[in-house]
Amino acid sequence: MYVLVVGGGTVGYYLSRDLLDRGHEVTLIEKDGRRADWLETQLGSIVMRGDGCEVKFLSQTGIERADAIVAVTADDEDNLIALQMAKRHFNVKKTIARVNNPSNVEIFKTLGVDDAVSATEILLGALEPPITT
Amino acid sequence: MKILIVGCGRVGSQIAADMDRTGHDVTIIDRDPAQFSRASQRGVLTNDFKGNQVVGNGTDAEVLRRAGVEEADGFVAVTEGDNRNIMASQIAKHVFKVPRVVARIYDPERAEAYEKLGLHTICPTIDGAKRIEKTLMEK
Repeated sequence: MYVLVVGGGTVGYYLSRDLLDRGHEVTLIEKDGRRADWLETQLGSIVMRGDGCEVKFLSQTGIERADAIVAVTADDEDNLIALQMAKRHFNVKKTIARVNNPSNVEIFKTLGVDDAVSATEILLGALEPPITT
Repeated sequence: MKILIVGCGRVGSQIAADMDRTGHDVTIIDRDPAQFSRASQRGVLTNDFKGNQVVGNGTDAEVLRRAGVEEADGFVAVTEGDNRNIMASQIAKHVFKVPRVVARIYDPERAEAYEKLGLHTICPTIDGAKRIEKTLMEK
């Protein structure tokens, strides 16, 4: 599988590392130059410096042949726009977002994102196990 | 009309003041409370402003709901962030079904892309550049 990861924070770094370990092809997109340099020392030449919301930049990432794109920056709005661009411009089959605000899980799906994951929601679920009768 | 404006910068506060003066029911949202006092210091949002000021994130559906998005006839997104404006506008249009939604997008490419997707976009980069070129060549 060829996966694009947008955002090289902690989540993006570990996600990319584990995808590589499992034998997938990955391109990790990071906007900040210094962070991108550090990521490259850890993960090698799979890192590209640029803005994952810009169509021109995305077109240089091999996005046309990507099986999936995962947007995991800390900003929900940036994740949404990157995935909408990927879907509408490049027809990427699977778009997955990390969302910080749990209410954005449903909103992102309404706005065309295939799947949205909220850590907050997962933690809430872990704290409040469903009542079994 | 009931109007919701996200972003209390120069443009947002100007729209808020103008529409309030012409009898519309205006609510303006900004995540930074200092933006309201700045607008007031500039003489734009003065004491005679009858609308509401809401402190909060305009891309948060709950904040929008509190600000009355469900009854809004018009929605304007003019924060400094293109992506924030796009997201807020899409929530207004597709989740809350606000009839008239306008987003300011500085990046011409992004503006064109979302215009094609049915969002009403204003791109000050292109509009401003054209106006300046025109004025320069006139005379």
